[in-house]
Amino acid sequence: MQQHSSRWFIANAAAARLITEALLGIFLGLLNLRRAVVLSAIMLFPNMTLHADDSKVRLLDSSHSVKQLTTEMVREIFFMRLSSWPDGSPIHVFVLPDNHPLHIRFAKEILGVYPFQLRSAWDRLVFSGTGVSPTTVESEEEMRARIESTPGSIGYTDKKYGDN
Amino acid sequence: MRSVKRSLRLGRVAPMILCSALNMLMPAEALALEWLEGKVQVHGFAGQGATYTDHNQVFGTSRDVSLDFREMGLNTSVKLMPNLLISAQGIYRDTGGSEREKVWLDFAQADYSHPFLDSSLVLGVRGGRVKIPFGLYNDTRDVLWTRPSVLLPQSIYFDTLAFRRGMIAGDGGVVYGRYTHGENRFGWEFLAVDPQDNTGGVTAFETGIPSFFPKAEGSLGGRPLLIGRTFYEWMGGRGKLMFSVVDLDRDFQSLNTFYQNGNTKMTYPLFSAQYNAELWSLTAEYGWIDSQRSGYSSQLQNLPTWKKNTSENFYVQGEYRFTTNFSAVLRYDVFHLNRDDRDGKEMSQLTGGRVAPHRFYARDLTAGVRWEFARNFLLAADYHYVNGTAWLNETDNPTLSTNPDATSHFSLLTAMLSFRF
Repeated sequence: MQQHSSRWFIANAAAARLITEALLGIFLGLLNLRRAVVLSAIMLFPNMTLHADDSKVRLLDSSHSVKQLTTEMVREIFFMRLSSWPDGSPIHVFVLPDNHPLHIRFAKEILGVYPFQLRSAWDRLVFSGTGVSPTTVESEEEMRARIESTPGSIGYTDKKYGDN
Repeated sequence: MRSVKRSLRLGRVAPMILCSALNMLMPAEALALEWLEGKVQVHGFAGQGATYTDHNQVFGTSRDVSLDFREMGLNTSVKLMPNLLISAQGIYRDTGGSEREKVWLDFAQADYSHPFLDSSLVLGVRGGRVKIPFGLYNDTRDVLWTRPSVLLPQSIYFDTLAFRRGMIAGDGGVVYGRYTHGENRFGWEFLAVDPQDNTGGVTAFETGIPSFFPKAEGSLGGRPLLIGRTFYEWMGGRGKLMFSVVDLDRDFQSLNTFYQNGNTKMTYPLFSAQYNAELWSLTAEYGWIDSQRSGYSSQLQNLPTWKKNTSENFYVQGEYRFTTNFSAVLRYDVFHLNRDDRDGKEMSQLTGGRVAPHRFYARDLTAGVRWEFARNFLLAADYHYVNGTAWLNETDNPTLSTNPDATSHFSLLTAMLSFRF
């Protein structure tokens, strides 16, 4: 009796393993499919909203001459490590709050960094006395108004020139 | 006695009063006080912590939950010219037996820098009371906002020992340079300062005299402290490599008859690495303290590790950001006072068993969370499971070395609420 049952087990072990593996495979496949669907939805959704607004983050400065700046220089300016323009005049930096969607997009798309890296760098400058923090404004409208009225200032926007 | 209690109570409510006063003074959305188009700025922070341990004491009487953990600072910076910055910060800090001077001038400095090569190269000088650039966290270690957890990794950034004051700042000068090329950034700082080592805890650390010897009284002088730090950053800080080194050579002038004059030399190299992804960061630092001492007392010459010793200090740390306001940290932190004697047995034998082996090592497994529940308000808490008491102080734990019942394993829970502007 004992011998018989163990033989049965050996004979059916391969089949049992096949079934288990097939079930696991289907389950993992479904998981992957779900992840793919969710991911593509996440990726598509912001793209669609972007197209709707036709908005692209770009730099905004008081003298309208930012096109001459290199990416490295823009990054140094927003990390508050460069305090004067090439002509020696002071740079004044405006930013939106850390969790503002436009600030997040600006950090990622223009600077190629994450907002927490900017905040960490500014905190270190401020609390070691080796630099100053940028001026935080509350809205895109305020950013545009402050940049218009402050010589040597720089910030960012996702509206076209002349939009209001 | 009554007045002491009253001042203690005042000390406890002071940060709360400061927080609420500042809150009322400022509009909710203002992040900083600034004038003249940001040329004059005032910033500050105030934090109140609580500490609990099941054995041993950290920051006061933590076995009964200690509230002796406060840090407050106020600073101002003035841009006299675009490239000339004057700044100063005062700090109030209270952490049980490890902080004896509770209020101090943290930094007061003038910084001048100049850009070259289309602004890709910046060279600068800084003088006055300057912060000591060391590793990833030393420069702003008294501000919760710039620490990954309530307590920094203690193997490298000692907080419970009074000699931490010697690692904060010094009086002297710094020269520095930064160069950016595409996605690569390089920088270096070189500093020569008169260290603040004539405070009780720092002197004791530099003379290295064991607690079962008579206390040494005297002053430290001689060559300025030299510190260098260099870094490489890739993709705006996604990858970061850093090397720092402290070189100390101090002469001790004894004021009591038990000790002669002596000399202490120390070298502390530290390697740091960090990778920052959007949701997670990985950090590690590894270093060692090389110390050499001569003079002081003929009786100390019998302690080979007092004369010459090399420690081992390192940690690995992972951070995960669940949301922009909520993150968690996991860390393993190791300190061996002598890297050839990781269980402290030989070191203990050298003292004739007067100091227990667990005083010579500390291994700390930490799990922590940080929650910025409102703008400029941060609540952080971490749990430490610690084996070894090397970084505990004997002011809070008077019988730690000699008590045979003292336990080497302990749990530490610490939380802090901090406000900054």
